[in-house]
Amino acid sequence: MTLRIPHSAFRILAAFWRLNLAEELQYRANVVASVLGTLFYMATALLTLALFFHHTTSLGGWNYWEIVVLLGVFNALTGVIEAVLRPGIGQLAGEVRSGELDLVLVKPVDAQGFVSFRRLDVWRFTDVVLGLGLAGYALFRLGHTPSLAQLSAFGLSLAAAAVVVYAIWVVLMSLAFWFVSVENIAVLFDAVYEGARYPVTAYPGALRFLFVYLIPIAWTTTIPASALTGRLRPEIALVAAGVAGVAFALARALWRAALRRYSGASG
Amino acid sequence: MIKRYAALIRNAWLVDLQYRASIVLWLLWGVTEPAIALGIWWAIAGDGSVAGYARADFARYFFAVMLINQLTIAWDSWYLDRWIREGELNYRLARPLHPAHEAVAENIAYKARTASVILVVWLVVAVAWPAVRLPFDPGRWAVTAVAVLLAAAMRFFISFTTGLLAFWTTRATAIMDLHAGVSLFLAGRIAPLALLPPAVAGVAGVLWFRSMLAFPVDVLTGAVHGTDAIVRGLAAQLVWLGVWVGAYRLAWIRGLRRYGAVGG
Repeated sequence: MTLRIPHSAFRILAAFWRLNLAEELQYRANVVASVLGTLFYMATALLTLALFFHHTTSLGGWNYWEIVVLLGVFNALTGVIEAVLRPGIGQLAGEVRSGELDLVLVKPVDAQGFVSFRRLDVWRFTDVVLGLGLAGYALFRLGHTPSLAQLSAFGLSLAAAAVVVYAIWVVLMSLAFWFVSVENIAVLFDAVYEGARYPVTAYPGALRFLFVYLIPIAWTTTIPASALTGRLRPEIALVAAGVAGVAFALARALWRAALRRYSGASG
Repeated sequence: MIKRYAALIRNAWLVDLQYRASIVLWLLWGVTEPAIALGIWWAIAGDGSVAGYARADFARYFFAVMLINQLTIAWDSWYLDRWIREGELNYRLARPLHPAHEAVAENIAYKARTASVILVVWLVVAVAWPAVRLPFDPGRWAVTAVAVLLAAAMRFFISFTTGLLAFWTTRATAIMDLHAGVSLFLAGRIAPLALLPPAVAGVAGVLWFRSMLAFPVDVLTGAVHGTDAIVRGLAAQLVWLGVWVGAYRLAWIRGLRRYGAVGG
């Protein structure tokens, strides 16, 4: 299970991204639409939260602004998903069905890496900026200035969160090799990821267990937000990195098994 | 007409049959939002109650939302948007049958399949979990059926009309998303309207949002009771259904006049 990344892979990706960027730059009005959409989405999330806190003072032990930090993290990760994962690996299920994946497999590059990072929806990176901005504002309202240790723990656990989200996408898309008719399998991700909008401590025990150990979305928002606000000690970031490593290895293994099943357009 | 509809529904049912797994995924996606809202309100209510809603009331409310939202939801704006942009509307216009009938038949076939799944799941859950049991009350169920029918018809015309905006703009589905975002609160998807600030709940009642979902849900759970309240709710549904049918007529006639299809 080695992951060879030859130098040429980066050159190929860089070329793809350049073309991609040139293409996207033609549709500059989209950046306005994208930002407006994100602002509207963030507003509904904040209003939902305000409605909950109209009737309570804490949710799963978290106060309002702590959860807003979490929403900021959620939004930043949504940006990564919409900019990189959905336009790239998110297209895989359809390609397995139509057999277009053949065109990818004959390329002399690592198929997983190529499929994952071939396309960027650059405008959606604004979500990352807006999300981190929201988290920063919420920290300010909390009156909490994170220490250097907390900031670096946040950085590491946020990177780990991105890896976990990526691993979940790889697993889902690999399942498409077995359930070929399910072109909309990404919907399953959207459904599960909804649960990451609130701290896992707010959920009943069984659901919490599910989100921490089986479908590890607790590691995508709850843990980075906790590291940033000091709710958890900075060492949690190392655990998060470990979880991300395991998730990535498992996803890679499943991807390999799935590829062995694939028989191409003619099969 | 009945024979035509039978054929259309049969056709839509068989098409859906090919995409069973996909439909299950959409179904899962549809019930996640109320399930998560239930989880959060469950935690907030604790052993007490929120504005008169205890845990069991929230459970009944959101199970009813899952069922009735599935029964009344309409995806037609996305279809219309594609039909218009890609010219798929052309051959539909050439048929001796208004394209809306095909859309209605698809809605019936899709909802019959998905809502019955939710209903069966609800019954199974109710065996183990008393909180989600509803009292046996055929009269209330009959009124609910009427309210659901009116809500489904109205949401169909909202969706269809918004889809028709694709005659004028490429962002018709974005408008539908905006409407969905507002209805998250005003239609009662995230919380019973009784839990919203009174002014917001008032707006929901004056506009069409309460009629879309919250009213039939409240009839089913018993939160709305008494002849007076039920008659007023049904009347509001009828009025707004009329308004949206009118909006649809206007958009259809004006839009077709504008329409120069792909290649046209």
